[in-house]
Amino acid sequence: MAVATRKTDIGPPNYKQFLPPIIQKNYGKWAYHEIPEPGVMVHVAESGDKLYTVRAGTPRLLAITTIRAFADLADRYCDGYIRWTSRHNVEFLLTDPSKIPALKKDLEELGFPVGGTGNAISSIVHTQGWVHCHSAATDASGVVKSLMDELFPHFVNMDLPAKLRVAFACCLNMCGAVHCSDIAVLGVHTRAPTIDHDELPKVCEVPTLVSSCPTGAIRPATVDGNASVEIEEEQCMYCGNCYTVCPSVKINNAETDGISIWVGGKVSNARSEPKFSKLAIPYLPNNPPRWPEVVEAVVNIVNVYAQNARKHERLGEWIDRIGWPRFFELTGIPFTKYHIDDFKHAGETYKRSVQLKH
Amino acid sequence: MSEKNRATPLLDELEKGPWPSFVKEIKKESERPMVRDLLGLLERSYEEHIGHWKHGGLVGVMGYGGGVIGRYSDLPEEFPEIAEFHTYRVNQPSAWFYTSDALRTLCDIWDRHGSGLTNMHGSTGDIIFLGSKTEALEPCFADLTEAGFDLGGSGSDVRTPSCCVGPARCEWACYDTLEACYDITQTYQDELHRPAFPYKYKFKFAGCPNDCVASIARSDMSVIGTWKDNIQIDQEQVREYAAGGTDIEAEICEMCPTGCITWNGEQLVIDNSECVKCMHCINVMPRALKPGKERGATILIGAKAPIIGGALLSSVFVPFLEMEPPYEDLKELAEAIWDFWGEYGKNRERVGEFIQRVGLGNFLEEIGLDPVPEMVAHPRTNPYIFFDEELEEDEDE
Amino acid sequence: MSQPTVEEVADAMYDLVKATHGKKNLKAMDLTKAMIEKFGDDAVDKKLCKLAIRQLIDSGRCIYSYFGGSFITLPPDEDSGG
Repeated sequence: MAVATRKTDIGPPNYKQFLPPIIQKNYGKWAYHEIPEPGVMVHVAESGDKLYTVRAGTPRLLAITTIRAFADLADRYCDGYIRWTSRHNVEFLLTDPSKIPALKKDLEELGFPVGGTGNAISSIVHTQGWVHCHSAATDASGVVKSLMDELFPHFVNMDLPAKLRVAFACCLNMCGAVHCSDIAVLGVHTRAPTIDHDELPKVCEVPTLVSSCPTGAIRPATVDGNASVEIEEEQCMYCGNCYTVCPSVKINNAETDGISIWVGGKVSNARSEPKFSKLAIPYLPNNPPRWPEVVEAVVNIVNVYAQNARKHERLGEWIDRIGWPRFFELTGIPFTKYHIDDFKHAGETYKRSVQLKH
Repeated sequence: MSEKNRATPLLDELEKGPWPSFVKEIKKESERPMVRDLLGLLERSYEEHIGHWKHGGLVGVMGYGGGVIGRYSDLPEEFPEIAEFHTYRVNQPSAWFYTSDALRTLCDIWDRHGSGLTNMHGSTGDIIFLGSKTEALEPCFADLTEAGFDLGGSGSDVRTPSCCVGPARCEWACYDTLEACYDITQTYQDELHRPAFPYKYKFKFAGCPNDCVASIARSDMSVIGTWKDNIQIDQEQVREYAAGGTDIEAEICEMCPTGCITWNGEQLVIDNSECVKCMHCINVMPRALKPGKERGATILIGAKAPIIGGALLSSVFVPFLEMEPPYEDLKELAEAIWDFWGEYGKNRERVGEFIQRVGLGNFLEEIGLDPVPEMVAHPRTNPYIFFDEELEEDEDE
Repeated sequence: MSQPTVEEVADAMYDLVKATHGKKNLKAMDLTKAMIEKFGDDAVDKKLCKLAIRQLIDSGRCIYSYFGGSFITLPPDEDSGG
């Protein structure tokens, strides 16, 4: 049978074949590193060998034309060795520092800025949005591009109190786990799905659809003689899983979908323990192609943080020190009932002391 | 319809500005009819403020239940070239290292079979090939495996493990994240390609508590490097930092979460018995301070994004584990979890949610681990304790 | 008690998938539990069921599907509309 001749389960190629000789030689024997200029790192091995890394930002969505251009640069400057970071930055690995200026110039001519190191805003980790996702409440790449055009000085400089991690997800499923970022920008659906009762019986299996709902909000129902479903709207949390299973249950809504902003999360254990991002702004309009309201809101938070936080203090640590009332006061963001948790264990997020600033 | 380029005035706005433009990237491949239709569809989304994709749950390569995400346009007549526009997840090499030859091989394969558009990389870590017709799935997969690449995970399976740059280029790596990631990925190829779990199971390997792969936020099994002994200090280098402008008292001693560091202008003294390995002092003075020599990892379990029962961070499962190949202890733990959660977990229930439902105490008993105080922020505050029967009998006697 | 072969377990699994098609989606563990119930836990175990599922899928009789979680189902061309 055909299956027997197919090659399967080989797994990824072994990483060892992709490591440059200087890394193979000094693997696990690095002594320290420094950041001589934004976007450039030097790692010094115990042997004295020096590895130079030039980091450039990318839009994550890359054409093979661009990847081939990167491969050519890797050949020209790095004996063909190249890597990516966990935040979509591309890194060129050099042993000869005299080549760095020419590489930087080539990268910038190709349109890829060098930066994202140290106390900077690195590339925004993000999802697919309208480019490819079925449940996206907004586009991802477009919002990210609009944001990074304005936050650009913080990518190519290292002028913030600490590193600032921005992440974007296009619906509240939060693919990419944006929920622990200094600033998380999150597309939101705000209404239960609408149902196309004429189409539904033709394209969907009702039992599958009913069982897809994590909160049990979908029930079989006969509508105008068709075997369809009804949705208990109060139970719906807009996850869109029903739409995944059945395209006749439409979660996307051009009128009511929007964007929310969350702040103060981190994954690093440095100083304070890792923490979730908390709601700063519950809803901003979905306004392509440049999302001016979202960009303005994020830039404001970054600016207020940059002016007020102490050196090494992450955004969430700064808020922990000054308190949430002062965060809302300094940023001018209105505090609403939507900021108060009403999911399970919400009480643990209420203020339960009289330690207040008046 | 897909013969010529449509006008895309809204998308064109996003070609302006200093940050690299995804629109420019898409247009670089616009000699392809698929990509022209993608531009048209995306422009439509920008006009209408709504997406135009549908999920398809039945496509894949033969024999695998993961690695391909089915995607269909809801405007197939208008944009026929992207009526089917599926995604491949191609398992990345550890820590995303490549040679230019390997990249060109991948580009050539994707040139032949799909849109020529990629994500470098997807959120989980895979190389994403964006936009394939159904008929191209098998031939593309054959070319990939011929070139030594395989698909990653999707659905209710082991998801593609990922790791930080680790010992390849970081002085803080407390174990070999690249090798652990590769070994685990190779060991669990069957679990990765043939979904048999209640829901996804993610491994992420971070070399130190800075956790550059966000494992504590998003992996069911977070393996985070740490050490047991003393932070290594080069006093000469500490004095250099002080001379160079670092305010040791304010930036190091006062920011240490346990206040276990003192500085008298000459010597930095760390009370290592109080150190919680947060990395702050080491991050600020990498030339002077280094993690200790007795290295391994803390194993944490149960992180997830919000769906369904709210987001969770991983919590401590094994405070310290040596991380040497072939990682038998780690594998034993993972397999014990899969056995228990696999049998009793509900569809779409991540292991973190499962633990909340059955209780961490019961979970530990099933897995065969003893409870230790490192596992909790504090002991319980509610008195509703469910005692074991043996204990009750003991008390009756 | 005689142990069923991998083929026999795969056949029984296929019958179950067919019988529940359109009514209930089955995961790999649902099939495994059903087989252990049918043949007895002294005759089949998780390992044997895993082999049977592999055979079921590799032969093309069933495919994996994703409907918010992975399931094992009939291929679309045996379905009415697909």
